[in-house]
Amino acid sequence: MKFNLPPIRRDYVSFETLANLYAQTKESVFEDIVIDMSATNWFDADMCAAFGAILYSLGNRLNKVNIIHIHQKVETILSKNGFLSHYGRVAIPDRWGTTIPYQRFEVEDDHFFANYIEDELINRSELPVMSQELLKKFRASIFEIFSNAVLHSRTDLGIFSCGQFFPAKDQLDFTVVDLGIGFCENIKDYTGQQFSPEDAITWATKKGHTTKEDSLPGGLGLKLLIDFIDLNGGCIQIASDAGYWQRQKRKTKTQRLNCPFPGTVVSIEIKTDDPHTYSLASELKAEDIF
Amino acid sequence: MSEKIEISMFEVVGSSLCVASSDGEKIFERLKTTLEADRNVVLSFHNVTTLTSAFLNSAIGQLYGQFSEEKIRALLKVEDADQDDLVLLKSVVDNAKLYFKNKDRYNRVFQEALNNEA
Repeated sequence: MKFNLPPIRRDYVSFETLANLYAQTKESVFEDIVIDMSATNWFDADMCAAFGAILYSLGNRLNKVNIIHIHQKVETILSKNGFLSHYGRVAIPDRWGTTIPYQRFEVEDDHFFANYIEDELINRSELPVMSQELLKKFRASIFEIFSNAVLHSRTDLGIFSCGQFFPAKDQLDFTVVDLGIGFCENIKDYTGQQFSPEDAITWATKKGHTTKEDSLPGGLGLKLLIDFIDLNGGCIQIASDAGYWQRQKRKTKTQRLNCPFPGTVVSIEIKTDDPHTYSLASELKAEDIF
Repeated sequence: MSEKIEISMFEVVGSSLCVASSDGEKIFERLKTTLEADRNVVLSFHNVTTLTSAFLNSAIGQLYGQFSEEKIRALLKVEDADQDDLVLLKSVVDNAKLYFKNKDRYNRVFQEALNNEA
């Protein structure tokens, strides 16, 4: 089987492309799958997390993946972040330090993920100078996304992540993907209610809505993330099942994907020159918490 | 026997990153044991650089499913927490109180909100 991959950007069209790739190959077992990248003249590096997750699921069904006709510029990017080393190429050094490597984690790898974020993102001198407050918020946001995947995805195929920094645009992109059951089925199992795929994402973004086990409250992680993105001026996109949800400039947009994505993608775009302060005006005392 | 028990999140988690729900569970087990024994407990945030709601839900939020607000307020104290950590903790605590008070009704509220938005 051969799949012609168009340019991949962090947008609705590319989420649909990757969902289509999954739809066309989901029954494949022991097959040779050729990904022809002749037309892929652009690849947003952090989208390697979504692309890699789908290719990993192909490998998990013992298919052989062969990526061919990669444009030189795209090959350089995907070699620098280590993605192509999973598919027979050699990783090349990231001289300018603008990549956050493609990586797969088991769901129990919380500490490994934490070290990855510290080593590859927080403690790297090449990455942008961000205010301490922004850095703290950003770091917490990434961990919230990972925790959501750990707690809700019920996947045994792992969690995938990748990022990219764009110095000229003062922008940092980071994407986390799981190959789990998705928001829609999770919410149906938990509440008994059948939402459309896009309404399911909307449900999950509301404060207090969670599908954790009964003894554990939740439902703050995505809300905190959205509040942060609203203030920062960045963007967050979520694709889960056949739902697509985007938040930018405090406006939410939802759409339906033609084919379901086999899990959940959370992709954030952060403005690294954000001058906002995130402290509250009134001070909270420790004795007023409980 | 000392008057109050001190629990250092940094020490229990073994890292300044208090982000994983599974690590929060370790804190919860210790807090639960002290509250069951009616002992005063101080939870120290010293050296903690990053917190998530997932961690705090697990560590502290679920206490509200097992103990009364009055008991938690009387016995549990926090110290060395940054202002934004306190803000996050307050959100988690308020959310947990609401969750356990109204667990059955909790999810129906959104359906109404969704219907109103449509």
